[in-house]
Amino acid sequence: MTDALAIRGLSKTFGGKVAVDNLSLNVRAGELYALLGPNGAGKTTTLRMVAGLLKPNSGEISVFGHDVLTDPAGAKQIIAWAPDEPMLYDRLTPMEYLEFVAGLWGVEAAVAAPKAEELLRWLGLWDNRGEPCEGFSRGMKQKTALAGALIHDPQLLILDEPLTGLDAAVARQVKDLLQARVKAGATVILTTHILEVAERMADRIGIIQNGRLVADGTLDELRTRSGEGKATLEDLFLELTGTGETAEGVSPEGIQA
Amino acid sequence: MIAPAGSTLWLMRHELRLFWRGMARRRGGGRMRRIWLTIALPLILMVAAGLPLGFALRRIHQIPPTPAVGLISTAVLVALFTLMLSQTLGAAITALYERADLDLLFSSPLAPRRVLAVRFLAVSVNVFSIFAMILTPILLPIAVMGHPTWLAALVVLFAVALAASGAGLLLAAALFRLIGPRRTRTVGQVLAAVIGAAFFLTAQARNILGGAKTASVWAVVLETALNPRFRGIPGLSWPIRAMVGEPLPLLATVGVGGGVFLIANQLLGARFAADAAAAAGAGVGSSGRRARTGGRTRFSASAFNATLLKELRLIARDPALIAQVLLRVLYFVPVGFIVLRSAGQGQSFALPGSAAALALITGQIAGSLAWITVSAEDAPDLLSCAPTPTRTLRQAKIAAAALPVAILLVPVIVPLLWLSPLTSIAAALGSAASIAMAAMMNIWWQRPGKRSDFRRRRQSSWLVAVAELMLGLVIAIATGLAAAGLFGWALIPALLALAGVLMLRRTDAQIAQALRTAS
Repeated sequence: MTDALAIRGLSKTFGGKVAVDNLSLNVRAGELYALLGPNGAGKTTTLRMVAGLLKPNSGEISVFGHDVLTDPAGAKQIIAWAPDEPMLYDRLTPMEYLEFVAGLWGVEAAVAAPKAEELLRWLGLWDNRGEPCEGFSRGMKQKTALAGALIHDPQLLILDEPLTGLDAAVARQVKDLLQARVKAGATVILTTHILEVAERMADRIGIIQNGRLVADGTLDELRTRSGEGKATLEDLFLELTGTGETAEGVSPEGIQA
Repeated sequence: MIAPAGSTLWLMRHELRLFWRGMARRRGGGRMRRIWLTIALPLILMVAAGLPLGFALRRIHQIPPTPAVGLISTAVLVALFTLMLSQTLGAAITALYERADLDLLFSSPLAPRRVLAVRFLAVSVNVFSIFAMILTPILLPIAVMGHPTWLAALVVLFAVALAASGAGLLLAAALFRLIGPRRTRTVGQVLAAVIGAAFFLTAQARNILGGAKTASVWAVVLETALNPRFRGIPGLSWPIRAMVGEPLPLLATVGVGGGVFLIANQLLGARFAADAAAAAGAGVGSSGRRARTGGRTRFSASAFNATLLKELRLIARDPALIAQVLLRVLYFVPVGFIVLRSAGQGQSFALPGSAAALALITGQIAGSLAWITVSAEDAPDLLSCAPTPTRTLRQAKIAAAALPVAILLVPVIVPLLWLSPLTSIAAALGSAASIAMAAMMNIWWQRPGKRSDFRRRRQSSWLVAVAELMLGLVIAIATGLAAAGLFGWALIPALLALAGVLMLRRTDAQIAQALRTAS
């Protein structure tokens, strides 16, 4: 079976600083894959290269058999990318935004119009469909962007920190939507700092640090490999990335007012 | 003296600091520009105008307050008032909508009314400072060479600034009441632009309205002033008498300016604070524009159509952009009238010049819009991760920039086809070339920025800005020569423009590399 995403020997440097270092990674079709890592580990850079927004220095990226570097249009046609900062136009309404995004992906009007209505209703934005996005809360903007990402029914949905800044109700809606997409056969890759979300939702988890994949597998596989049978994902994450230690001589009590 | 935190003076210092920093950011240009503005320009004004005037006036003890002098000085003050009103109205609209810090100030224990009064006083001081920077180097030598009381002109200038600030506040509040928070934003900025161009428009009244009896307002003022039978209007000499330091007129002028400011603040201060709060909520949820439940959607599988529609919508909904572009359109209107009237009256001498001006102005407007559509893209990543070819997106963006200009051009070009076919064809071709040149320059030399950076768009590359202007001028010359029937001569600037455009051409790879470097 073709992998949804296959990355081989991917490297990217910015002015001499290595962001992604010879990374290889596979995501299977129909799974929800969580890519975790500390700040600056190279998660977003990796996903931006997968989405065709950055060119790697070396390596190969294949999305459902489409080489992102040699066949970018073919790959982009089946990918949706939703960054942590929603890519919106403040002066367009959600419906107009969806009209635009559907046009970019060449979705026929007869398919796009009911799909837009379905998404906006599902995300609770139907009553706001005629209002410009500039007055929206962060959650509403995030949901509008998510609707845009789903309007062309992508096979691979890539989300960078999709739950950042969302209240509990909106976060629940987004999580439900992602699980529904996976159930419908789509593949979802997400990055998150909320480890409980990855622990509860992800089929497989990848942990990246200094641009390298340091662990990859189901939660049970990660536990087995670390020899900690009952460890939480947080314990594993801190152990694998070595980010558990606090700065020398500083304790939480010490910084209390 | 350090003003205590929270005092009016302290708040004033905060407002002035924000204004001058914002001004420096908008103007940009670095050290050389600052030296030019603070040292070179005042020196030039002093040497070129202040010293000769001071020398010429040193033996005149008093300006005779004749009706002519009174009329001219009053007209100049009225013109100054309109220029200042344009800025104060813009500031009032900004205070209502672009108010990142107003929420902070309103949430503090300071009274909202005081916050707004200080803000508008700061607007008056700022507007006054801009004009005082020009007037002071001229006034100083005159004052030193025997007319120290003439420095009172600066006091009059401040009184006018206060009146303009009060009037700006009144106008903004009236618009808010009459047309609501949403429309006020657009209409207010457009109105500010129109008021700012009033000086130019009144000077062009003859061209716009036509008819033998219509003349420039300034010509009428001069004609009336020089008419020996003009006996003046009571009170008309007060402004000039105030400017040269006569106590009573000076006191009266300050009283009027300060009075307008105080009354506006007293009457509308509290209401304006409420309006500001309402404007903040206008964009949100149910208090905003109601959902168009039965609205027709415009889905299209064509990326070109979708992008074109999106760009046109964004242009139409950007009040600051509309106000900026409108200024250029206002300069377009008299030229359009000149060309049509000249063709209608068989005055062939004015036609080539007007055709050239049309080509130049359309290129300028198209260039401004092309910067917005091409460089000021709000969601570049969205376009980059779409499967649509870059070429299609560019074509749609350029079409969106050219379409409004074409709509503007049609009412001039089509009637002209009957009145003077040669001028019509030359103007149409020249404008098309000018628009195409502006579009290509904006694609080849993309300068990514925010929409709010519109006024500073040329500063990212002076060379390209100058090249764009020069090429526009050369195309305009070719258009004028072609309209005059001098086709052979027209070929020379046309080929020159073509060579210039080809020299500045960039390949897709070069554009991509430049964009990568810029980001």
